[in-house]
Amino acid sequence: METRPIMTNAIEVKNLTKYYPATGSGQAFLAVDKINFTVEKGEIFGFLGPNGAGKSTTQRMLTSLLTPSEGQIRILGHDLAHDAYPAKGQIGLVPEESNVYTELTAWDNLMFTGRLYRMSKDDRNARAEELLKIFGLWEKKDVKAENFSKGMRRRLSIAMAIIHKPALLFLDEPTPGLDAQSARAIQKIIRQLSKEGTTVFITTHQIEEANQLCDRVAIINQGKIAVIDTPEKLKQTFQQVQSVEIAFTGTPEGIKEKLTALPEVSSVIKIGDKWRLYNDAPPILLPHLVKFAEEENLSILSLNTLAPSLEDVFLQITGQEVGTIKVPPKPNKKRRKGGKR
Amino acid sequence: MKNFSRISDEFAQAWTVTLKDIKVYYLRPGMIMFGFLMPFFMFFSFSVRREMAAGEGMSRLLALTIFFTAAAAGPFIIPTERRMGTYDRLLAAPMSLITLLLGKIAVGAFFAIAVAAVASFVGIVFLNGTVAQPALMVLGIIMGAFTFSAMGLIFGSIPTSNPGDVQMPSTLIRWVLLFISGVFIPLADMSPVARAVSYISPLTYAQDLMNHAVLGMGELNLWLDIIVLFVSGILFLLPSIKLHKRGRVLGY
Ligand SMILES: Nc1ncnc2c1ncn2[C@@H]1O[C@H](COP(=O)(O)OP(=O)(O)O)[C@@H](O)[C@H]1O
Ligand SMILES: [Mg+2]
Repeated sequence: METRPIMTNAIEVKNLTKYYPATGSGQAFLAVDKINFTVEKGEIFGFLGPNGAGKSTTQRMLTSLLTPSEGQIRILGHDLAHDAYPAKGQIGLVPEESNVYTELTAWDNLMFTGRLYRMSKDDRNARAEELLKIFGLWEKKDVKAENFSKGMRRRLSIAMAIIHKPALLFLDEPTPGLDAQSARAIQKIIRQLSKEGTTVFITTHQIEEANQLCDRVAIINQGKIAVIDTPEKLKQTFQQVQSVEIAFTGTPEGIKEKLTALPEVSSVIKIGDKWRLYNDAPPILLPHLVKFAEEENLSILSLNTLAPSLEDVFLQITGQEVGTIKVPPKPNKKRRKGGKR
Repeated sequence: MKNFSRISDEFAQAWTVTLKDIKVYYLRPGMIMFGFLMPFFMFFSFSVRREMAAGEGMSRLLALTIFFTAAAAGPFIIPTERRMGTYDRLLAAPMSLITLLLGKIAVGAFFAIAVAAVASFVGIVFLNGTVAQPALMVLGIIMGAFTFSAMGLIFGSIPTSNPGDVQMPSTLIRWVLLFISGVFIPLADMSPVARAVSYISPLTYAQDLMNHAVLGMGELNLWLDIIVLFVSGILFLLPSIKLHKRGRVLGY
């Protein structure tokens, strides 16, 4: 066997916890609850969760903008609590807001960031030109960012985050609220960066984005990581769990509890006028459903069985609506730690 | 060698922050209003109907503009940056907090120095003032500008993303300091109690330093003025550092 050099991980997080302290107007709040994960170098790692799950809080701790209440963070081998300086120079940050200086031109925004990261003048100029061309902003380089659309600002914000060629790039929900074209362009750039060796940590509440972009995904809900795996493995994990979507003519009292009580049903979510029933065996469930409709004097408007999607995995774990959620049993096979690269 | 290059890096970064802020914020209405117009307005409204020698007027105008203008920048710029989300860029960059604070202090200080230059011009041309010790005046302007900019930064460091939250208290405190500091009423004319109170305000020493420079005489020892200004400028950094750490715990 060949000997391989000891690899340091891009991110190592142990027991990371954040309590926002009580202030005059609010109570103390546990936003991130003892999470653990590791991101290998070169991965695109997705942090997927609904609004308020603790994604930004986690990312802000990883980028040293927020002090953790407990736990350890190592970024590229450096302990963030004691040795943040070398780590900070190697990370790039695209925050939730497109924080460009609107009073400055695209060019000046990039020059400012380049100087902040101590790039030489030649490097700055060359890299800024390269990035503005890649991001389709070259013609607008002397236009103040206040005249930019949201998509253009976001692109500029990403260009600013990578001007110094960071080894590790953090993006906090980079695509929501953008037109489809801008969103696609950004996803393409993220893939390209990853090919060039950049490790990417991306938070999102968009399942499709995580599915298409990420090597591995952590699903976070109410401050806890529910599961971490590749999108494919996540889907497989839930493979035996399928769902049936059904719509009735009415909504009698306690329908949700009654549906949940049907055989083989692990959880129930209401989606629009439809009920989605997660279950291991639709063939067993379907007759019971028909019987249930008869007993309740309901007609069935529509009935579909659905193959598992990452969305199912996500809803199963995070659907706040589902008070009675039972997370399906984990399969016995050992889960692989890293994504295939 | 490595340490030296780190230090020169940090200075360059502070300077980068300063230049950027000059470009972005100097022409903002908030800065013009609170930093530039306000001190002149205050000066003229208080000097009207008062017999005052030209030199005395100029010395007061200088102390007042440096004080008010320098301290106006911090409470305006930092909360604005927090609200825009751009402050995270600075906090995430590979530089120490002190470097960032120094960069921000320089922003207010340079603004005050520029305004003081206008004030000197007004004083010399329109009030026919003469300056006893021009070099000391320049030194006093620079020292006062940095010290009071550092003071303003304390307010800017309060964890909030709304400039309005800190504008009020910072303006109020500046007004209070103005009235207890021998700017409008000279130290020599004060009652013993008022005079004792005035000694807690760094502005007292800045005004006295200006009197030394412009009039060629002050109530206090010149070196005392210089040392107090210098030391309080450094001490003003401490609450700012503490408040920034607090902000990082609270999540601002
Ligand atoms: N500065 C703060 N002070 C108190 N609570 C906060 C603060 N920032 C976020 N929170 C709360 O912490 C939870 C997680 O927030 P956040 O990490 O922004 O979620 P996400 O990015 O996943 O949408 C939310 O309930 C939010 O209201
Ligand atoms: Mg968020």
